Amino acid sequence: MKSLKYTAATLALASGMLAAYAAGHQVIWSPASSSYLDGVRAIFGATFSDYRPWMDQFIYFQHVLGRRLFFGILVLIPLLFLIHLVLIGPKRFSHKKGMVYYFSALSRLVHWVAAVSFTLLVVTGLMVIFAKPLGGGGLVLQARHWHVVCAVIFAMSGTAMFLIWVKDMLPAPYDIKWFLILGGYLSRKKEPVPAGRFNAGQKVWFWLATVGGGVMAWTGWYIYTLGAETPELRLYVLIHSYLAAALTAFFLIHLYMSLFAIKGAIWSMISGYKPLEEVEILHSRFSRFRVKKRT
Amino acid sequence: MARMKFLCDIERCIACDGCVIACKEGNNVPVGVNRRRVVVINEGKPGEKAISISCMHCSDAPCIAVCPVKAIYQREDGIVLVNKEICIGCGYCFMACPFGAPQFPSGKVFGARGAMDKCTFCAGGPAETFSEKERTLYGQNRIAEGKPPLCAAMCSTKALLAGDADVISDIFRKRAFRRGSGTGAWGWGQAYKDR
Repeated sequence: MKSLKYTAATLALASGMLAAYAAGHQVIWSPASSSYLDGVRAIFGATFSDYRPWMDQFIYFQHVLGRRLFFGILVLIPLLFLIHLVLIGPKRFSHKKGMVYYFSALSRLVHWVAAVSFTLLVVTGLMVIFAKPLGGGGLVLQARHWHVVCAVIFAMSGTAMFLIWVKDMLPAPYDIKWFLILGGYLSRKKEPVPAGRFNAGQKVWFWLATVGGGVMAWTGWYIYTLGAETPELRLYVLIHSYLAAALTAFFLIHLYMSLFAIKGAIWSMISGYKPLEEVEILHSRFSRFRVKKRT
Repeated sequence: MARMKFLCDIERCIACDGCVIACKEGNNVPVGVNRRRVVVINEGKPGEKAISISCMHCSDAPCIAVCPVKAIYQREDGIVLVNKEICIGCGYCFMACPFGAPQFPSGKVFGARGAMDKCTFCAGGPAETFSEKERTLYGQNRIAEGKPPLCAAMCSTKALLAGDADVISDIFRKRAFRRGSGTGAWGWGQAYKDR
């Protein structure tokens, strides 16, 4: 019975083709094949359109590169700093020449709100990257939620920080010279380093944290809401991840500079005062300040 | 071992949504989560086609590749499952999936995403088979009971086939030959390549 049906179908197909041929290639009857394939193609178009863009890069980052990149940053940068600390050691500046009022109370407050929220952003972000060793589940789910809360706080304090410091953060010609000698951090000599109120390294950090932070907030919003087309979402994840790598690296550099590379540097952000000697050497092009003698 | 696959015959699907409802009801899927959905093109016009889409349980599944916690895994029979207790709800699987299968329950504070939910091929989850935990987290385990998934069992026109790849592709091939139409099954090139 079955084979009879097949034969009938084959015969129908053949006669259909013959009929089509006889009509001078004008199809008067055709098997469902063309319409079926059209249907498959149309549904493919409707469901798979633009499905591929950024797919390979996305899988490569998530599957191969991501965790290694962040692990490398977390290991290599502290290792370099350890070598620096051992070979060159921290810079020390005397408080005896007097103190300079460097950071106003408002800028310090804004800095610390931004600092705490940013630190939590880095920590919770790394928890998502290293979710597997942490076991995943509720802990990382919570970290993801805190990531969003901290992002909102950092977005506000980061904007304030941008407005307070942007004037002093504009690039200057001597910044190139600063980069060429890497801010004098590779030698122990106390020679004046070409830098204004903020040195070139601080400027890069500033622009990365504020403008880069804006990009992070923008891409992060779409990743959080899944509010864009899928290929766009992949691109946003890639931008968010690579920028996060750069920000993590600079975050570690900033930590080292304030905690180890210059002895007691963190106190300038707490009390607002920097030693005059430090300002004269590390910020030699900065002049509009008043010196307060300390006894 | 048999390789489990879905096959939706777009010549037969009449967009009755029976599969969607069977899946949602049978597995107690929460509001806002659709493990299966029906897409209709050219609705009301000549050439109208409908297709029922869910997780296709791909070979070399991209969701498994991008999952940062390796919460998604593939069984020996090809069924792709998620461990909801490990999932962190990051949404990367959703971004990788060609079929839009991963779903996220919202409704938490500020619309935060919870753990991912997707079609399980009615094979439950990593929790103990037939346990209460498996039922509440993942739904029924009909594969362990020796039954086909709810959607395919429900399908009124038998457009949706689920089961051993060799068997269902054979059925489809015979159908295709009988009606003299093409043999390309929707999504198979995407989901299964040549495996």
